[in-house]
Parts: sequence; structure tokens; C-alpha cells
Amino acid sequence: MKLKIKQFLAITGLTAIEAIHQPIFLLLSATCILLISLTPQLLVHQFGEEGKLARDSGLAFHFVFGLFIAGYAACSSLARELRGGTASAVLSKPVSREVFFLAKFTGVVSAVIAFSICAAIATLLSERIVLKFYDTPELLGYFRDKLIGWLFLAVPFAAFLAAGVINYVKRRPFGSMAFGFLFVALCAVLVTGGFFNIKGELAPFDLRVEWRILPVSLLITFALIVLSAIAITLSTWFSTVPTMVICSLVFIIGLMSDYLFSGKHTIVSSPAVGAFIYRILPNWQYFWIADALNGGGIVPAGYIVDTAIYALVYSAGVLFLGMLLFRHVEIK
Amino acid sequence: MSSTINGEPVIKVTNLTKIFRDFWRRPKVCAVDGLDLEVKRGEIFGLLGPNGSGKSTTIKILLGLLHPSSGEVSVMGASPCSVKAKSNIGYLPEESYLYPYLTAREALEFYGRLFDMTGTARKERISQLLNMAGLTREADRPVGEFSKGMARRVGLAQALINDPQLVILDEPTSGLDPIGCRQVKDLMLTLAQRGKTILLSSHLLADVEDVCDRVVILYKGRTRVCGRINELLEERESMRLTIPSLSPEKTKEVLALIRKAINQDPEIDRPSKNLEQIFIEVVKQAHKDSEESCPDSVAEYLSSD
Repeated sequence: MKLKIKQFLAITGLTAIEAIHQPIFLLLSATCILLISLTPQLLVHQFGEEGKLARDSGLAFHFVFGLFIAGYAACSSLARELRGGTASAVLSKPVSREVFFLAKFTGVVSAVIAFSICAAIATLLSERIVLKFYDTPELLGYFRDKLIGWLFLAVPFAAFLAAGVINYVKRRPFGSMAFGFLFVALCAVLVTGGFFNIKGELAPFDLRVEWRILPVSLLITFALIVLSAIAITLSTWFSTVPTMVICSLVFIIGLMSDYLFSGKHTIVSSPAVGAFIYRILPNWQYFWIADALNGGGIVPAGYIVDTAIYALVYSAGVLFLGMLLFRHVEIK
Repeated sequence: MSSTINGEPVIKVTNLTKIFRDFWRRPKVCAVDGLDLEVKRGEIFGLLGPNGSGKSTTIKILLGLLHPSSGEVSVMGASPCSVKAKSNIGYLPEESYLYPYLTAREALEFYGRLFDMTGTARKERISQLLNMAGLTREADRPVGEFSKGMARRVGLAQALINDPQLVILDEPTSGLDPIGCRQVKDLMLTLAQRGKTILLSSHLLADVEDVCDRVVILYKGRTRVCGRINELLEERESMRLTIPSLSPEKTKEVLALIRKAINQDPEIDRPSKNLEQIFIEVVKQAHKDSEESCPDSVAEYLSSD
């Protein structure tokens, strides 16, 4: 058992590092952060909902880019290894197929969680710096947190620059270094922001972020984990392109499953068949509840627990199927 | 060649057939067709055949990576899918499948972690293997930057990290320079002397001839020839007599004597070194002249009992 855990951790770590090393991972992560940081700079009206557009845009970017990252990382990590030959080198060692498969999934999930943390911090920052109405003894009117806004905008560029320098001087891989710097720089901007007030002057430490965004980010991360499980299961039999196509279909149909397979607008004539399809498809609507934050609302803890259980059970079921399939896969 | 062969079979293959199927499960290719094979402990066994003869497929079935269509396969007394049996197997694939972002040391560290060994033992072995592979200076470079030969050396090192009882080498000398080829052959002989079993698949017949005890020649998945290499190569109709160089007069006398005895003209030539021997001598001398330290030909833990 101890050996299995050691093998599991070794393969998990390697998979996470390999996923982060992929240029596409860095490209999608950096683009997502850049778009989230640009959103508050471009918004000039709030339509009576302070921070709503910045918050919703940040969460939407997190979800959409996360889906691409999770899908691509999951299917490329297993499909690439199976077709590239590294899987045969590992599976010729005393590693069971189940350990290999689950460790691959956990490695991908680790990379996805790293991305989600970055996206969540970016969304918190975006909501903080957006144009808001202030009515205090010092301030009256609409103000934007300019200093932190500019620092936030500079994050992707600073991360790329630092990674480039390290790559030149120390020959360390650019992709993973840039992602590491992206993460560190976001944390640094978040903490630095605590020392400044809205006018950019030094002030007693106050992060001034909407922590109630984090549960919504957490739910999005659950969705990304479910999609990773689906993608990695599909990639036991299919190569990257068919897996991505099927994942996209599962995502689109799953998003509309409330409409397509239940209620009076159902497209399936047999209620039993409709109910069956509705049950087996992941219902992405469970994971997207950004609207709950409107008007100062929060996501109830019970809802987070229920959704976590749904994601856990759904992922476990899909992974169980994946393990059964992977047991019979021929590694050429 | 190995002198420690005993009767215990390490690999036993009976009537093995492997048919690859297409997406619709229709038969596509019969890669292995009724193969019988037995490899004994301490033996260096050569698997020969042209491209597409079923060598790599057989190896992958032995490692549990492919599933046989029919037939019986046993590796170290267990099913090829047995995880326990694999802890005593070392495998060098045809291509050095390595993670390009890892350095040579990190790659060996990763493969070492897949076996039940302590961190100290792992580090010690990695250091010896890097020295054996001549990669101590390059240990902290990503393997993605390596030449084919260097990647092959890392591949060989990863195959030996667990000090395996059975070593399966698929084209081990492909991409290596003559020194590297000689090292690999010496390594195989050393391992066999320690009672390890080696299954070697190669297109380089000279390498196979140098080290193998027995060979099987496959063609379209079937055994065409199987036997001890010296028996297969022996020409029973003629013999060679090697004697010190003689003066022209003495040579004439000896030839006349032989001609009289066999009633036909004998052939006479001088034994020659092969190019590999000359190359190794020249490079070893160059190493001495430049006072560079030569890498160990075999890692210490692989050559000691």
C-alpha cells in the first residue's frame, strides 16, 4: 500500500508539472487573467449593480477558459502518453493501471486547481478595482482603484518578463516559470492592495475584496473537475481531437439539459428516456450560480456541500468507468 | 556468453497468437502466430526478425502492455499483467520514451520512485547509473535537449534502476556510438554472469552474435529458426586452423602437407581485427591522453553480488 501511495504521488506530481509545462496551459491562463484584469478598466457604467459586471465577467472567464484547460490537459496527458510511448515505459514498472489512471486524473486536477486559484484571485481583484460609487466623509462619487488596477494589468507581462529572464540566465523552462510567477504576482498584488486605499494612499491594512465570490469560484472548480474526469475517461479510447469534440458536446448539451430533457419543452418523446439522459449528463447549471451574489447575496453552505457531493459522485462514477476501460486498453 | 544458465524458465510462451483488430473488431493484422518460446535463467536470448515480424509485439505481451489473442504466457512464473512480477523486470523500449521537461536525474528519480527502495539506495543507484551512462555532467539538463544516443543511455539507466532479474532490451544499441555499443554488450554479459536473464531484440546481428546464447528468428509472427547461436553459425563442412605467422617456405610446406591430406587446395588468410576493436582502442588512448576520467562500464550495484 505504501508503495502504491508513493507511485501515485510520483505520477500525480509529474502529470501536474507536465500539464503546467504545456504552452497552451500558460497561454490560456495568461489570456484569462489578462481579460479579467482588463474588464474593470473597460467598464464605465454599473447599471445599479456595484461590481456585478466585473464579478460575472471574471467568473465567466474562469469557467470558459477553465473548461478548455481541464479538457485539454486531461485528454492530452493520457492520450499523449498512450500514443507517445511514455505510458508503456511507466506501465512496464510495477505500477497498476488503476494507480496510473487515477494519478493522471489527480495530476490534471492539481493543475486545474492551480489555474482556478489564479482565476479566483483575479476575480477578487477585478471586483475590487472596478468603478464604484462612494459616499463617505472623504469621497463622494464614482471612483476606480487605479493603482491596483494598473498593477493588476501588469501581472501577466511581469510574469512573462521574469520567466524570460530566468530562462535566459538559469535555463529553467519558460512555461512553468511564467505560470509560477503569474500566481506569485497575483498574490502579491492582492496583498499589496491591502495597504492602499481607493485613492492609492497608504492606509491601515484592509484587502477590501468580496470574499463571497470564492464559493462561486469553488463551484466552478467542481465543474472543471467533473469535466477533467469525463475527458480523461474518454481519452483512454480516443485521441485528443475526438475527446475534445465529445467534451464540447457534453458541455453544451449538459448546459441545456434542464430545457432539453426535462419539463414541458423536452425534445425526447419518452419521459423515461428523457429522465435517463437527464440523469447521466452532468448538469452544468448546478455549478454556475453567479446570480446568487446579486444584491449582496451569498451562496448557502448547504448548496456548496450538495454540489460537492454531486461532483464527487459524478466524477467517481465516470472515473470508475474509465478504470474499467483503461484495464483493457492495448498500449502499443 | 553466459555460463550461469540453469534450467528454470523465466519466460515461457506457448502457442501465442496476437491479432490486431480494427475499430469494428475485424481482424486487421496477425502480428504473432502460434509462437512457442522458452528463455532460461541466466541466458541472453536474442529475438531476431525483419520489421513487422512480431518482435516488439511479443515483448509488449510479455510486459502486459498488449493482451494475447490466444496462447499462454508466463513471466517469472506469473501472468505478464502481474504487478509483482514487474518489480523484477527492466525494460528498455525501442524508442527512449522520456518526459522531455525532466532532467536526466529527475527522470531516473521518477522511475526510481515507482519501485520499493529507500531514498538513499535510490540516490546511490542514480549516481552510479549516471556515471555508467557517461551522463554525470549532463545530469541536470532536460532530456528533451539530449541527442538520440544520450536519450538512449538515460533509457537504459531507467531500465536498470531496480537491479532487475529479467532485462528486456528492444534495440538497445540503436543510436549509440561504438563505445556505447560495446558498453551495452559488456553490461549484458556482466548481468548474465550474475544470473540475470536478458531478452534482446535487435536488428544489429553483429551485436546479437557477440552476446547471445540462443536466438529465435521470427518471420511474420512465426518461429523460423531457434537454437544455440554457435550451433546455428557453425559450418560443419569446413574448419579453420589458426597458427603463428610462418615464413614463405614453411607456408608452402604446410600447404603441401594439407593438400596431400585433403586432396584439394586449402584457403589461406590472415585473421584481422574488426573496426569496433580499433575504434575502441583509439578512443581509449585519446581519453588517456586528455586525462579525462572514463565512465564506469557497469554500475557498481549491477556488477556486485
